[in-house]
Amino acid sequence: MNETPDTPVLSFENVYYAYHTKGGETLAVRSLDFSLREGEFMAVIGPSGCGKTTVLSLAAGLLSPFAGEIAVRGRPVRESAGKFGYMLQKDELFPWRTIRKNIVLPLEVGKKNTEANREKALSLAKKYGLGDFLSYYPDQLSGGMRQRAALIRTLAPDPEILLLDEPFSALDYQTRLTVCNDVYGIIRGEKKTALLVTHDISEAISLADRILVLSRRPATAVALHEIGFEAMTPLERRESPCFSAWFEKLWKELNI
Amino acid sequence: MKNEQISAGHAAFLRREKKNAAVIRAARAGVLLLLLGIWELAAATEIVDPFIISSPSRVAATVAELWKNGSLLYHVGTTLWETLAGFAIAVSLGSLIALTLWWSERARKIFEPYIVVINSLPKIALGPVIIVWFGSGSAAIVFMTVLVGIIVAVMNMLGGFLATDKNKITLLRSMGASKLQILTKLVIPSALPQFIGMLKVCVGMAWIGSIMGEYIASKAGLGYLIVYGGQVFRLDLVMAATLILCVLAAGMYALVALAEKLLIRSPK
Ligand SMILES: Nc1ncnc2c1ncn2[C@@H]1O[C@H](COP(=O)(O)OP(=O)(O)O)[C@@H](O)[C@H]1O
Ligand SMILES: [Mg+2]
Repeated sequence: MNETPDTPVLSFENVYYAYHTKGGETLAVRSLDFSLREGEFMAVIGPSGCGKTTVLSLAAGLLSPFAGEIAVRGRPVRESAGKFGYMLQKDELFPWRTIRKNIVLPLEVGKKNTEANREKALSLAKKYGLGDFLSYYPDQLSGGMRQRAALIRTLAPDPEILLLDEPFSALDYQTRLTVCNDVYGIIRGEKKTALLVTHDISEAISLADRILVLSRRPATAVALHEIGFEAMTPLERRESPCFSAWFEKLWKELNI
Repeated sequence: MKNEQISAGHAAFLRREKKNAAVIRAARAGVLLLLLGIWELAAATEIVDPFIISSPSRVAATVAELWKNGSLLYHVGTTLWETLAGFAIAVSLGSLIALTLWWSERARKIFEPYIVVINSLPKIALGPVIIVWFGSGSAAIVFMTVLVGIIVAVMNMLGGFLATDKNKITLLRSMGASKLQILTKLVIPSALPQFIGMLKVCVGMAWIGSIMGEYIASKAGLGYLIVYGGQVFRLDLVMAATLILCVLAAGMYALVALAEKLLIRSPK
């Protein structure tokens, strides 16, 4: 397939994945189809243990599907090393590295550790309020600041697609709301395409342009919605009258 | 973050802490003096035969005598050299083997039973074999020291390497990291505390190995002095050598503790 303006940034076609252990086989993803448009923020919601993390690992090429196709701009995901920025539940900052060294870690790993790239990553950190903390160690920062540092680290190598695996679930409620707002602002500001998986319905509504609902394990698509909040920030969305209507609708779909 | 102005409450707290630490240091020294005093008294009043238990003053005299005839440095130097060489080889070779076993899961599974058996084998059983192979010089003793320490080093470090956070490995893999990069950027630095812990255990192991080695086959060293002193019933010599050993072992441990302070940043 050649790239046309309509080629999705990321596409899953009839994807299956199963884990094999001595205890047996666990089908985690079944016949999953979806595609991600350029510049959009898509949220994937599903009950705990349904296979959300598996979907992200498949997208990032860390796992290979046993059936189906996963493509990045029409090309096999194997050829897409370095196009993804992966963000996990916990910040996973390396405690023996300063924030500065943590942020440039992906550059070191991806052999992109040039002066120019480092400058770009550090200016991103400064732009988003980490400038004063670059020489601090992670344990000297609050949970929210650490997660922000993790996002800047994810953005440092300038990835085309962000994969976010419940990145707020380890934070307390207050922090979660503000960090959620922060992260939304940063991702929109940098015009990134993002795929967020979460079991938290309100998080999905407050961040995404579209929401894909997954079934219980094995995960497959149940519904896909255009949320239509467009330019509103997460906090504004939470105050919108449509918010609770969406919440109820998705709640029902999740609990079929 | 430093607070320039310390509140009165905090100042009082710091004073209390300081006082506590001083009390503990003084008590430690007191215990040592008390033990030495009882020992000296028991020998002086001949409650226990000083020929059997020696006494602090006789030990001091023996050390002074060894110093004067020049053999003190010779024996201490011999044992110290053997211990340090064995320690260095055991620690570096052990870490290298642990790295290899971390790298290859298959190698790990193949060698696991061998490691378990070698670990539970009393190394002293190999004494005669070692003498036949290496003679009765320093080489045999260094070999014994390595033998005693290396399995501990391997098992400790392998445990540390395998305990690396799975999520951090996933994170590095998502950045496109190679196995070598995962090793150098994550596995080794995150096992640093484990490495220091292993060094502490191996200090003890190295002294066990070298003294055990000197018991079996030697012409010099503190272990030799202890065995010799025992055979000719010179308990002063046995006690003197043992006390010197205590000081050396404590010194080596203190060096490792210092390395820990320098290498590992304590959380703020
Ligand atoms: N490495 C693994 N080996 C075996 N089973 C696994 C493994 N990882 C996940 N699973 C199983 O696959 C299912 C989906 O897991 P996951 O994708 O982590 O779910 P989610 O992220 O939605 O909570 C779960 O039932 C889980 O037990
Ligand atoms: Mg998950």
